[in-house]
Amino acid sequence: MKRLDKFGYIFIAPFFLVFITFTIYPILLTFYYSFTSYSGRGEAEFIGLANYARLLTDSYFYQAFYNTMYIWGINFFFQLGIALLLAILFSDIRLKMKGLGFFRAVFYLPNLITMASVALLFGILLGWHHGTINHLLLDLGIISQPINWLNDPTTARWSVGLIGAWMWFGHTFIILMAGISGISKDYFEAALIDGANRWQTLTRVTLPLLKPIMLYVLITSLIGGLQIFDLPMLITDGMGAPQGSLNTMVLYLYNQAFRFDNYGYAAAVAYGLFMITVLFSFITFKSMYRKNVKEG
Amino acid sequence: MKKVLSLSMVSMLALGVTTACGDDESAAGSENSGDREKLTIWSFTDELEEPIEIFEERHDVDIDLTIIPIEDYPTRLRPVLENGTGAPDIFTGELAFIKDWVEQDYWEDLSQEPYNAEELADDYIEYVFEMGRNSEGTLKALSWQTTPGGIFYRRSIAEEVLGTDDPEAIGERFSTMEGMFEVGEELKSAGYRLFPDEGAVRWFSQGQNPQPWVNENDELVLTEERKNHFDYAKELRDKDMTAFAPEWSPAWFAAMDGKINYNAGWDEVDEDASNEVEVFSYALPTWGLHSVLKINAEETAGDWAVTNAPTPYFWGGTWLGIYSGSDQKDLAWEFVKMMTHDEEFLTDWALDTGDVLAYLPVTEEIKDEFQDEFLAGQNNYKFFLEEAESIDPDTVTRYDQQIDAMFGSMVEDYVEGAKTKEEAIDEFYNLVRNAYPHIQVPNQ
Repeated sequence: MKRLDKFGYIFIAPFFLVFITFTIYPILLTFYYSFTSYSGRGEAEFIGLANYARLLTDSYFYQAFYNTMYIWGINFFFQLGIALLLAILFSDIRLKMKGLGFFRAVFYLPNLITMASVALLFGILLGWHHGTINHLLLDLGIISQPINWLNDPTTARWSVGLIGAWMWFGHTFIILMAGISGISKDYFEAALIDGANRWQTLTRVTLPLLKPIMLYVLITSLIGGLQIFDLPMLITDGMGAPQGSLNTMVLYLYNQAFRFDNYGYAAAVAYGLFMITVLFSFITFKSMYRKNVKEG
Repeated sequence: MKKVLSLSMVSMLALGVTTACGDDESAAGSENSGDREKLTIWSFTDELEEPIEIFEERHDVDIDLTIIPIEDYPTRLRPVLENGTGAPDIFTGELAFIKDWVEQDYWEDLSQEPYNAEELADDYIEYVFEMGRNSEGTLKALSWQTTPGGIFYRRSIAEEVLGTDDPEAIGERFSTMEGMFEVGEELKSAGYRLFPDEGAVRWFSQGQNPQPWVNENDELVLTEERKNHFDYAKELRDKDMTAFAPEWSPAWFAAMDGKINYNAGWDEVDEDASNEVEVFSYALPTWGLHSVLKINAEETAGDWAVTNAPTPYFWGGTWLGIYSGSDQKDLAWEFVKMMTHDEEFLTDWALDTGDVLAYLPVTEEIKDEFQDEFLAGQNNYKFFLEEAESIDPDTVTRYDQQIDAMFGSMVEDYVEGAKTKEEAIDEFYNLVRNAYPHIQVPNQ
């Protein structure tokens, strides 16, 4: 028996070796660096809690937190809204929509485009005097002056949030569809026989039963949303322009480390971000638990 | 900096991948037919592609060139150099980060045997040679080019509006900021635009009083002349002298080859203005000619000339050196030698591309006879070599790339009306302090 046990460890060893080397070790090393003034070369000098003290009073970090939540909020609202609407349409037993497979693929397509291409594409579409969207809106008579989308904090944040929603609604749609297919047809048929209209079916049957799935979408989206980085990095100057409005937490971390060589401080920013993620997960988890108790 | 290269990064990266694959195969296949030596080079531009082909033929070796867009270049290269795994034998450095890199142990010491590169000092434009030297006097990198800037303009427009297309006469008009804005007014009333965007003037404010961003006491220096950048940019915007085609944007490139859409019916623009507008000039350095203009201007080829800007300036430049941990140092040195002081190769290179060399034995030979058809036969070589004399390398610091970007972004906010000049300067100080806590920022 003892000998067989050993084989078990050998079989799981590759995963743990990779996990320790590429995940645990960097996490611990980052933790160590967060107490140093490491500049990316030479030796790291130990400076105690100075980086964390700076983090707590760093207005750029708070601004980055605000930006991140702002962009994620827009992103999540539209991503879930569009996905939910489509999922309800496609799952309606009375409508019997055709071509689900086709549309599912089409909706998912934006997610397959590399972020660099998306940023380049929207950078051109959202251009000021030469941008496609401005010219379109002008021809339709909606605007009379060009809007400098990516040079105004509000429109820039909305643009990034909506592009994110466009990229991810297909993904959410697939998850919601799976959630809806998981609901027994009996409920819908019963509702139909009882004479429930569409709205009643939606609010009394579909949505309550879809709640756990939506919560899952919320948590994964939140954790992903706190790490928004590539689009804000690529679509303007990579430093959070216009006026710091696209400076997200991870972008700030990246710039502190790789642009300004403040690896020590960037490590502290990373742990700040980690604490925020833990806090949010905790809150969501708590609220989920409380609801379960109520329902039970 | 040379962001143009980043715009073509997609294609270049794709090329890099395919060539890398191809090389792997050929390397595997050639193992039987006698080992070909292999050299790896990392750079941020594709300009080494041709020299590499020539070198491969001459020495019967394989060279792997990896091109990384300039924004990511230091970030990608640094870890590799720090730990030595997968490091290239040769890598290039741009003006923006060379000051930092020569102080590290990344590049081989070229002052020593067997390189003895110090002997070559007299053959180069002085600042180019000195830039490759660190604070202890050790020579780490060499370059083949010099990068003074000028103003490239369209001859036909100059002829029509200003009555002459002669570079001397146009240069006279461009010799002061006031003169430049006057030309801008004249162009505007004739329906043309002076520059594609407001970015062009950043060089001229620095050129009025060239000072490093950070002095030897780690203090941030924001000269009054630098502050003029705010006013110049605002004047260009207010007087409607640009075509709103931001640097490195598709419209910016398109405007090199003729008219671009301008007034699509926007309220704020003069109603009489036509739907299309043509840009008169671009502020670009030596490399702007062959790696930007010639590539993007086909219809207008031959209609260009180059003249002086209101102040001398310089922009970019590529140095190269041997990785200190390379096990192919001899071969790598051969490549560096060819690229920086092989008369035959450099003469062909210069005549072919128009790149302005820093290697005097060749420039002395070709500068008097040089003609570029793209510039209607103008001798840009002589012009740029004279401009190169005013380059002051002491203004270069390792912070330039980042601090330039921060300052440019603040100018943008001011021109847009999002900040007052004082607010913009305050925020600039905050940004610098946040990025580089050790730099002393003036009291606000």
